[in-house]
Amino acid sequence: MAQIIEARAVSKRFRQHRRFPGFLGALKTLVTAEYTEIEAVTDVSFAIAQGEAVGYLGPNGAGKSTMIKMMTGILVPSAGDLTVLGRVPHRERQANAREIGVVFGQRSQLWWDLPVRDSFELHREIYGIPRPRFDENLKSLSSLLDLEPFLERAVRQLSLGQRMRAEIVMALLHDPKILFLDEPTIGLDVVAKDAVRKFLSRVNRERGTTIILTTHDLQDIEEICPRLIMVDHSRLIFDGETAKLRTALGSARRLMLEFAADPGPLELKSARLTSDDGLRKHYLLERDDISLVHVLDEIGDTTALKDISIEEPNIEEVIRTFYQRRNAELPPR
Amino acid sequence: MSVYFAFARSAFLTQLAYRHEVWANMIGKLVQVFARVAIWVAIYGGTASIAGVSLEQMVTYALLGGAVTGAIRYESIISGIGQALRTGDVAVWLLKPASFPLYVLATELGRAAFRFVILVVPTVAVVAAVYGMLPPASPFHGVMFVAYGLLAYTIIALLSALFGLVAFWLLTSFSLEWMMQAILNLLSGQLIPFWFFPAPVAVIAAHLPFAWIVYYPSAVWLGRLDVTATLSYFGLGLGWAALLAVGVVLLWRQASTRIVVQGG
Ligand SMILES: Nc1ncnc2c1ncn2[C@@H]1O[C@H](COP(=O)(O)OP(=O)(O)O)[C@@H](O)[C@H]1O
Ligand SMILES: [Mg+2]
Repeated sequence: MAQIIEARAVSKRFRQHRRFPGFLGALKTLVTAEYTEIEAVTDVSFAIAQGEAVGYLGPNGAGKSTMIKMMTGILVPSAGDLTVLGRVPHRERQANAREIGVVFGQRSQLWWDLPVRDSFELHREIYGIPRPRFDENLKSLSSLLDLEPFLERAVRQLSLGQRMRAEIVMALLHDPKILFLDEPTIGLDVVAKDAVRKFLSRVNRERGTTIILTTHDLQDIEEICPRLIMVDHSRLIFDGETAKLRTALGSARRLMLEFAADPGPLELKSARLTSDDGLRKHYLLERDDISLVHVLDEIGDTTALKDISIEEPNIEEVIRTFYQRRNAELPPR
Repeated sequence: MSVYFAFARSAFLTQLAYRHEVWANMIGKLVQVFARVAIWVAIYGGTASIAGVSLEQMVTYALLGGAVTGAIRYESIISGIGQALRTGDVAVWLLKPASFPLYVLATELGRAAFRFVILVVPTVAVVAAVYGMLPPASPFHGVMFVAYGLLAYTIIALLSALFGLVAFWLLTSFSLEWMMQAILNLLSGQLIPFWFFPAPVAVIAAHLPFAWIVYYPSAVWLGRLDVTATLSYFGLGLGWAALLAVGVVLLWRQASTRIVVQGG
């Protein structure tokens, strides 16, 4: 399969004019030329093939947005080689722009004062989309994301979830080959998140649009992206199948069983008991293929069971386990 | 090009959504224009003419002078560009196959067209009905007034864009808006026509680009420029517009590479 994005040892350093605090500091800031350097992306390499859906995961400040900005041509890498669809993005920014779609979760591209439909019309003019193709895309995409009820409403009157859905549809109207999304689910409620996730995986499957999505929500990636790239402190720390993440990193889901009456010690094969408070018992689900069904099956008589909860490991936890494991594997110095 | 026309049209139509504002603006505009004309009436105080200019001519000048500056909001071009650069919203524009400064200009010209039709023409008509207004000096001058008017919009829009881009480096657009206002009041001839200026100052002011915003359109209407002067100053104005456009393009290129290399 052809690689449509290739990053080889890409780095980005930001140089910031050093600021001094206080009033005299402000004067000093004016006359000095001292800089502090921030490494936002360090030595990152990966290749992405046509039709993939890749999640770019990492905590805040890990360098995700910076990487997206380099791939879309609005930032120039400080070092390394980056090509998107065979081009160096910042050198051929406009040619690149015609073939990609970009959604920023925290920055709107819709026209605030205009009805959603008018924003789409302006987008059609900017990208010179042929009318029949535009109408067809608008119809199918907006019915999939249920935009029809608010197509005629001004963008400023929309809820965040509605606006985000409109942003995503707009980014797809010109049939981009690659769709970049920077934190598209940030701030959305559960229902809106779910709608966005379902839609994106459908777009990837049915239209063959390559998707690169940054997030700090592991669930976004599990539902949309078969492949995961994980970054932390500007460096790439994992690149592989999302399904293998847990096994690769050894972080397990947590299971809690609450009983109406204490059943006594309850050892399970499907889950490892970690603490037992009598009525409440905590387990770790260490294998991915074990689901609640297996657990309930094993318990058998569930009449005494009052409550069950499964907690996904959050990203900080996943990264912590990753580091612990890596440090354990390193030879002692 | 049709993209920018689409921006202008959509800005024009968006104004319709703010109909309530139109009435308030209309009243404000009327008071303003009445005041400006009343001042000149008071200054003349029965004198037939001052420096060879009759009161009728002066009232006409004051009415026409507001036609351009009354429709355009140069401060919104300046603050619009300044803000987009500062907040980094401009990054979104770097992603589009369209030019951001041209988008801002097209949008503001669309709004100006709306204000021209809805605000300027009615207020000028009302005040003219009260105080009287001279017709254009000749059909030629009438036609050229329209051409000068369009050039005036272009020049004020380009000037504002230039000021707005400077805001990127100064990190403040407020002082620039204030400065633009002061310059326009003095050097466009809006407050006082150049024929009341001391001679050397008048000559300098008449060759700066600001003169094409208020002074020349009104002077042409009144027939104070003969046919050759009307045409040659039009050419000079076009030259200024071209120079300003080059300035906008260069500054924009500087600003956008700076964003691209260093980050918002
Ligand atoms: N324009 C900039 N100037 C200076 N530092 C920046 C700039 N943009 C990002 N950074 C810094 O680079 C690092 C990575 O930022 P970013 O890519 O936005 O992270 P993420 O999107 O993963 O939260 C952070 O430390 C951030 O403060
Ligand atoms: Mg980010």
